[in-house]
Amino acid sequence: MNRFVLADCTTVDAALSQLKDGAVVKAGGVDLLDRMKDGIEEPPKLVNIRNVAELRGIRETPQGLTLGPLATLAEISEHPSIRAHYQILSDACGHAATPHIRNMATVGGNLLQRVQCWYYRSAEFTCIRKGKDLCFAFDGLNQYHAIMEYDGCPSVAPSSAAVALLGLGASVDLTSAKRGKRTVGIREFYVVPDANPTKFTVIEPDELLTAIVIPRPAPGTRSAYQKYGEKESFDWAIADAGVVLEMDGNICRRAVITMGAASPVVRRAAQAEAALAGKPITEETARAAGRLSIEGAQPLSKNAYKLDLFPVAVYRTVLFAAGLRDRDPSAAG
Amino acid sequence: MSNRPIEDALLAQAGATVQKMAEMPVGVPGYTLHEERRKMPVTEPPVWPINKDLQYVGHTAPRYDGPEKASGRARYTSDVQLPGMLYAKFVNATVPHAKVLSVDTSAAEKYPGVRGVHVVQHVLGPAELRDPALDQGRYPVVRFAGQPIAAVAAITPAAAEEAAALVKVRYEKLAFVVDLDKAREPGAPPVFPGPADAEGSAGGGGGPTDVHQTGNIHGPSIHRVNDTAQGFKDADVVVEGHYVTQVQTHSALETHGVVADWKPGMLTVWASTQGTASVREELAGFFDLPMSQVRVITEFMGGGFGAKFGAGNPGVVAAALSKTTGAPVRLMLDRQEEHLSVGNRPSSDQNLRIGAKKDGTLTAIHLVSYGTAGCGTGAGCAGPATNLYQYASLHTEENDVFINAGPASAMRAPGHPQGDFALEQTIDELAVKLNMEPIDLRDRIDNHPVRRVERQIVRESALWKSRNPVAGADKGPVKRGVGLAQSVWYRFVRMNSSAEVRVHRDGSLEVLSAVQDIGSGIKTVLAQILAEQFGVPPSQIAVKVGDTNYPVGPDSGGSVTTLSLTPAVRDAAWQAAQKFLAEVAPALGTSPQDLVLADGEVRSRSGKMQPIGFRRAAAKMTTSQISAQARRVPDYDPSKYLTYGGVDVAEVEVDTELGRVHVRRVLSVHDCGRPMNPEQTISQINGGIIQGISYTLFEDRLLDPNYGLMVNPDLDLYKIAGAREIPQIDVRLVEAYIGQSSTDASGIGEAAGVVSIGAAVGNAVYNAVGVRVRRTPMTPAVVLAALRQGGTLA
Amino acid sequence: MPGSALPPSSQDSPAETARPGISRRGFLKGAGITAASTALIEGVQSLRAETGTAAPPGVTELGPGPVPVHLHVNHAEHILNIEPRTTLAEALRIELGLTGSKIVCDRGVCSGCTVWLDKMPVNSCMTLAVDAVGHHVTTIEGLAPEGGVHPVQAAFVRHDAMQCGFCTPGMVMSCAALLEHNPHPTEHDVRQAVSGNLCRCGTYPKVFSATLDAAGERRA
Repeated sequence: MNRFVLADCTTVDAALSQLKDGAVVKAGGVDLLDRMKDGIEEPPKLVNIRNVAELRGIRETPQGLTLGPLATLAEISEHPSIRAHYQILSDACGHAATPHIRNMATVGGNLLQRVQCWYYRSAEFTCIRKGKDLCFAFDGLNQYHAIMEYDGCPSVAPSSAAVALLGLGASVDLTSAKRGKRTVGIREFYVVPDANPTKFTVIEPDELLTAIVIPRPAPGTRSAYQKYGEKESFDWAIADAGVVLEMDGNICRRAVITMGAASPVVRRAAQAEAALAGKPITEETARAAGRLSIEGAQPLSKNAYKLDLFPVAVYRTVLFAAGLRDRDPSAAG
Repeated sequence: MSNRPIEDALLAQAGATVQKMAEMPVGVPGYTLHEERRKMPVTEPPVWPINKDLQYVGHTAPRYDGPEKASGRARYTSDVQLPGMLYAKFVNATVPHAKVLSVDTSAAEKYPGVRGVHVVQHVLGPAELRDPALDQGRYPVVRFAGQPIAAVAAITPAAAEEAAALVKVRYEKLAFVVDLDKAREPGAPPVFPGPADAEGSAGGGGGPTDVHQTGNIHGPSIHRVNDTAQGFKDADVVVEGHYVTQVQTHSALETHGVVADWKPGMLTVWASTQGTASVREELAGFFDLPMSQVRVITEFMGGGFGAKFGAGNPGVVAAALSKTTGAPVRLMLDRQEEHLSVGNRPSSDQNLRIGAKKDGTLTAIHLVSYGTAGCGTGAGCAGPATNLYQYASLHTEENDVFINAGPASAMRAPGHPQGDFALEQTIDELAVKLNMEPIDLRDRIDNHPVRRVERQIVRESALWKSRNPVAGADKGPVKRGVGLAQSVWYRFVRMNSSAEVRVHRDGSLEVLSAVQDIGSGIKTVLAQILAEQFGVPPSQIAVKVGDTNYPVGPDSGGSVTTLSLTPAVRDAAWQAAQKFLAEVAPALGTSPQDLVLADGEVRSRSGKMQPIGFRRAAAKMTTSQISAQARRVPDYDPSKYLTYGGVDVAEVEVDTELGRVHVRRVLSVHDCGRPMNPEQTISQINGGIIQGISYTLFEDRLLDPNYGLMVNPDLDLYKIAGAREIPQIDVRLVEAYIGQSSTDASGIGEAAGVVSIGAAVGNAVYNAVGVRVRRTPMTPAVVLAALRQGGTLA
Repeated sequence: MPGSALPPSSQDSPAETARPGISRRGFLKGAGITAASTALIEGVQSLRAETGTAAPPGVTELGPGPVPVHLHVNHAEHILNIEPRTTLAEALRIELGLTGSKIVCDRGVCSGCTVWLDKMPVNSCMTLAVDAVGHHVTTIEGLAPEGGVHPVQAAFVRHDAMQCGFCTPGMVMSCAALLEHNPHPTEHDVRQAVSGNLCRCGTYPKVFSATLDAAGERRA
């Protein structure tokens, strides 16, 4: 890990004043230190926002929920109201990484973590996401990579919180000293790699993620998230699904189905959602949604098996969200 | 031959030539226990009865160093800090195959805090060319990414790391190959310019050195028993299969490394090793030092599993840096280096064919295996096929295939998990074809008396009885299955096993041996032996091990430690006790023959004196310390009981929609001679089961085919079973006396689960889904492919 | 354990934490200003004076060279002179000689380096030492009162929940933390609590039974 200046900040304004000349924001520090230890990033200065009190906390408002970006994954997953009304979010945060990491890692950091592609994470491979023009995964080892919507880079979206927040229609507040605050939807927050491969999100170097805003779900909403790995104890998702169902009796008024480990940025499975809208949730409709979740997928040389997994992940999570099935004991996390 | 009279004289001096006869318990209590007559040196102590009639040995005593480990006080090599100690860091090859043209260390040498730089002249681990002249050049040829090239020692770890990054290595890249199949093709880039061999370590591994080499194929090493062509002609049924297993890394939690302190007249090395003696020997040899001037200390070590013998590159380089800098040097590998450069379990690609009569009798076993041990050898995996069953004929061909990857080293039962995975699934398949119960078939072809008992225990178990003999019978996507497999390992005795036992006048007792405790709990067992002999609780015994200043101990590999060392310890303890009684008898007014040690007292058989506390009796010693040293006496009857093992049963759930295999329960029935400390033995078996499950389902060293670099040299994408993958494990220890030594202990580390659990899981998966998965790790991708091929997945 | 995950600074009065200009509070707050910590603050200020950096309000700039850092570890105060990049694991092991916490993966995936920050288990290898300022750090060495044995440690010995012992301190810290927050754990809870703790010898079954036993003993 390189030497750096640590600018320890106590206010948002103070932190914003430091975001220049290659300085990088550090909150929980989990993913940042990981990248620095792997030698793929060497920032001269870390702007420590861990002690910025105004970025902490979980607030319930009449409009919904506001998460301070420093809220930890553990705090979110254990929050009684989130458990009750935003189960997809407590599921996603409660099954990310390991228990100890969840105590340290913040939701903001989780959203901003970089892809876990092993080529990206190795200093030996100068890949397209690090400013070169090569991708090593297409012709290399890609068993954990994307099956759809990739162009120049088939890494997969690493943030389980993002899968949940996309399902909930959340947005993030981005604040800069010069331009003030702007609000961006979760999907728009992420940048598809072909546009500018070295960018992962729309956040600018002088911007700070200052809040995550989640609209209050419509009455009758049920939701869930599950991820599947090769292991159950701490593993990265090989398939995952977030499901939000607006129910009217046993009829699904509207469904949102989100996936992370299928594509470079979190995605909604529009065809799968359409398959549920206006229908009762049953084994058959859930299975149909699962099948449609991978419409258009084009697996790589070593990950066709994901075409089997996602339909099952979606189908089981739809039933879990609807209360027709228990949490899958073989789900990871 | 001319030395014979001298040797005989020495043996006579050791009492080894004067023999006595004694009856010893042999067999399994409750099943086959009987007595057999054994000839043994007259100096041997009285024969111990079976465990139920002993007080401390054979019963659970708390782990000797448990409190130190649970409190964090246990000091491992990576915890050693010495005044003025420097931290060293390797510079490693970043390409898989290259000539090194130059190594420029000038910038590193000038870096603040740097005290020394060392350029590696000879790399330990890879196979060595039979004709070393074929490797030309000033520096060792790089044969794998991660091969150490140089090392830097500095006053802080960060300075060492930063300076190491400044060492400039110029390469002339050579064509490389990292794929087993590609390496076998004619015209594949040669890993070595000529034949090369690697010898095994104390833990096994290594390959034959007298075989042909064609391109990258080192072999075959052929072993024949009778004529398999005839055997297959005689067969009523033939089963065959192609089995593939992956490379596994040891991934001990403490990496390889040492702290070396080179002082005039004495090189002291703290080493994370399975063999203090092996480290001393290698360092003395490398630096041409007398053994008496090298001291190796291993107070605690954080796991080895076969990879930690000898000083290795870290040991040699740290010692060299300590010599040149005049300061102690710590060199611990980082996690990536640990994956890349210090060993692994070789892969295998096996074609196995077995012929049998209708009654199950095996007429022929034919195995052709290829496997890669990287740029080392040791991929042979014919052990189970050769040694587990009776057969009329056998033909095995084992081939090592060189690739540009780190050399393998022994790993827990080298070759056996691979071989057993194929063999025991094929035997299961044979049972299906013959319409026989898996246990009945094994009863027919395996006459090992202890495994027969073990199968009987399995047959009567609730888990086995719950098995549905019809494969794939469960409805629904999650299907349950039960399967079993057997393991085999061998009785290796290391004569380099000795100990000293001391009785002090204050009544304290200690045992000293250079043996290291690698986590198996040998310290506890030594305390129990002294306790048994002196009649005091184990908690009153001081155990001093892990230091070459003590009498030489065995290297801990191949399940040798307990069976090799404990007889020497018991002999020393017994002799010390006799000396002690002789010493105190006059003061107690009786003869030594009249005295016994029991329950913390010295007692008179005849009642001549009142019992006296051990401590009070010791106070009557006329000298402040009595000691006795003993070395291992050869097994009493080395022709008998050469193998041992066990039977493992696995219950799995296969989620056929996700291709996930979850092991729910395991029944593990194993023998290890006289179990010395059952709870510790169970711990080791749990470990074998869990490591084996991890290997079977998850672990895989992945090398990028285009660049030859490992893409998962970490502990998250190199996937190791965690808490949620752990089944309910029911271990049944089978006491199996064999009448071979004064303790009659055997080993457990290799045979414990790790050999057979993979095949048991494979057989259970077949029982669950009716499809055989012949490849590890059984990831969703692999299982779904097998289901699809087997026609059970749309 | 809602709430307990928040560092104690969240209980500072809003006026204090929000007040600009008291840069030292954000970084150097500890368990009250003692003589030692006063000296520390002076040290930081003099360091700043030497390096000539004039940080704006609300910002304390540290490093890249060694800076004095005040840590509260196992009921004792320590002032370390370390670079900001120093991880808590390195500070504990190298600077303080508290080598019970082990560095195994060095990436937060094995939990061999587990310590508590205010009774919350974290990976010290992925925590900067400076981020532990103002928190109570408990390591395996400080888990039990001086000279005593924590019930989880005792149960680990009783159940032989260790082999090589290298993962044991991390396992003990994870399991003891579980009991702090959940006195009535099930085996499933224990498995979850140590689902980030890697053991290579395979001690898990006895880790589970030892922890359940310790929980029963604590309740009794």
